[in-house]
Amino acid sequence: MTRRQWTLVATVLVVAPITACAKAPRPSLQPSAPVAGAVLWVEPTDIATRDLFYGPWGAEHAPDATDTFTLVASNHSGVNLAMTVTDSRHREWSVKTPYLGGLDSEAPVEVVVSRLLSAVGYPQPAVYFLPAFRLTDDLGTRVMAGGRFRLQDAALTDEGFWQWEENPFIGTKPYQGLQVILMMLNSTDLKNSNNTLYQRRTGDLVEQWYAVRDVGAALGDYHRFIPRKNHIAAFEKTPFIVGVNNGYVDFAYQGSYRPFVEGRITPADVAWASNWLGRLSDPQWQDAFRAAGYQPADASRFIAKLQQKVREGQALANDINRSSRDQK
Amino acid sequence: MTGCRPTLAGNWVVAGLALVLACGLSVTATAQQGQPAPQDVPPTPEVAEPQGFITEPGWLGRAAIFSDRKLGGGGNGNGFYVSTKSPIQGSGWITLGPGYRHSFQDDRVLVDVSAGVSIKGYKVAEAKFELPRLLRSRLVLGTIYRWQDFRAIKSYGEGPDTTEDNPSTYHLRSQNIVGYSTVRLARWLELNASVGRLSPDILSIGGDEPSFLHSETSLVADTRDFPDHPTRGGLVRVSAARFNDRSAGLYTFNRYESEVAGFIPLARSRVVLALRGWLVAADTQPGQTVPEYLQPNLGGGHSLRSYPDFRFRDDNMLVGNMELRVALFTHLDAVAFADGGSVSARFNDLNLDQRSVGGGLRFHTRRATILRTDLAHGHEGWHVRFSLSEPLRMARSTRRTAPFPFVP
Repeated sequence: MTRRQWTLVATVLVVAPITACAKAPRPSLQPSAPVAGAVLWVEPTDIATRDLFYGPWGAEHAPDATDTFTLVASNHSGVNLAMTVTDSRHREWSVKTPYLGGLDSEAPVEVVVSRLLSAVGYPQPAVYFLPAFRLTDDLGTRVMAGGRFRLQDAALTDEGFWQWEENPFIGTKPYQGLQVILMMLNSTDLKNSNNTLYQRRTGDLVEQWYAVRDVGAALGDYHRFIPRKNHIAAFEKTPFIVGVNNGYVDFAYQGSYRPFVEGRITPADVAWASNWLGRLSDPQWQDAFRAAGYQPADASRFIAKLQQKVREGQALANDINRSSRDQK
Repeated sequence: MTGCRPTLAGNWVVAGLALVLACGLSVTATAQQGQPAPQDVPPTPEVAEPQGFITEPGWLGRAAIFSDRKLGGGGNGNGFYVSTKSPIQGSGWITLGPGYRHSFQDDRVLVDVSAGVSIKGYKVAEAKFELPRLLRSRLVLGTIYRWQDFRAIKSYGEGPDTTEDNPSTYHLRSQNIVGYSTVRLARWLELNASVGRLSPDILSIGGDEPSFLHSETSLVADTRDFPDHPTRGGLVRVSAARFNDRSAGLYTFNRYESEVAGFIPLARSRVVLALRGWLVAADTQPGQTVPEYLQPNLGGGHSLRSYPDFRFRDDNMLVGNMELRVALFTHLDAVAFADGGSVSARFNDLNLDQRSVGGGLRFHTRRATILRTDLAHGHEGWHVRFSLSEPLRMARSTRRTAPFPFVP
């Protein structure tokens, strides 16, 4: 290489990491005006009996594992393979499958996270997991590695995305609690385009669901540049809470969305979210992972770590309460 | 130039190619079996990557994840992308440029434009328009335009007996517009046809080069699991091409190619034996010759690895490669290889006398070879190579423009 070429390469090597390491600006959060029918969270009054295997939409909406699906189109975005298919009942599904090799498999994670969120009151679309499925395209039928199936339901229309920085719920306990749960799960891809605003029609009732939807980048670690997804060893190694500073919780999370939670989440927020998750029974936890095709051994490790985080969150609030009582 | 007589030089060459052909076809046949009965829950396919013999360090796994996300060969996302396609061997180890790709109407229309500049200043720009789902995806029609500017193609002279001292270089610029069709006979079997116009200029000598009307027909059977990092399956390709000199009337010729490769997994896929054979023969009429830039070249990271790029060229070419890939870690293979081949004016003089042996390392994801380094030794000494692509890539099976200059 010539000297000029070496200079170019050296410049790129020096400048790129500096640019990448620059701290992201702290976003300004603006509560928007109230929206009629807006729903971020509904109190789960029946949490103890919720079915985390089939989820809130139940077995009747689930895809049939013995069915042969027909390819409508491949989707051309995201890290994982995605496609739109129809089943023999003419229902349309958005399917996300892993690339062979198993790296970065988001599909099972998305199902687990969806089950946990819906269990504690956050509305979710109908998502299911099939370990394998038969797919017919123009060239014939073949067996595909399984993935996440999300039903395109006529009663639930996609109205685009909503923004973390501006929505009617900023500052509310469910909004804060949602971010706590996503921190617990080591979610690393909290960009606005992964949030979906759904219009939900039930008879004459029209609701606006503020759902976090593409949540497959989780259950790994929160490395800023190359986070692992769906990686039990990495998940087990990552701590949850570092401490409390000026009344706000300091999370261990180092992902690029840290500015959204830094200096904004109180111990009470963490306790709120932890208490809801803490009300899930062991069989419910197991069902959430079983629904996503996890082997029992892996599921148990994920559950143990998540339950440890839940206890940590609950204990944090207890510590703060005890400390304030002592000061009085 | 004599006419092409399809008899191979030496029984051992025949035996080698037959072995590779057998491997390729047997895997082809195997891949068609095992269709499950309807109404059953289908078996779960194995998606996990074969583990290496040594536990992989975390940084290597993370590097593989990064590579898979950014460079892994998914290659179907809509929108802008960074093009790293090497314009040609000898253009340097890295090429960068912008690209934009978009599929419309449920994948019925594809547009892809890209440009790139290599670290040695080689430039390429390409625009493709394709209709990939005609007749329920049985027929593909498309057109592609390619402009390229290669500033210093080396020339060591014609024939197998040239020396490596004092090669000359020439600056080659060309435009190629091609219309093509593919008939998909099966998911793994394609019949391709193309016709195009190639307009080269050798800028360094300022001469007017003739333009060519070229056409090609090929049959490709491909059962490789991942073309950019195959671990099982095979490829068989036969093609016939014609280059018609539309200007000078001196460089009209036919070219026939046969390429066979097999990738045989051993030891639970921790070891892969890769074999490839490639034969190129030219057929010219009296008074016609094959111009230098359309003669097949031998030497470089995809053929004879101990020789420089473009080291040998002539009207006919034979090359064979064998690699044994051992997964040290999940994403890092150690490799031992042997290459052999030759070029000649007469088809019957082809042999495997020019040889390279060596070893190397491959960093890869499941889908693509990301980085490789090879240390090779041959009659002309040692050669170290770095590359961002699979050595036995067989790019001719998918490429629709005329290979120009013609390199493996």
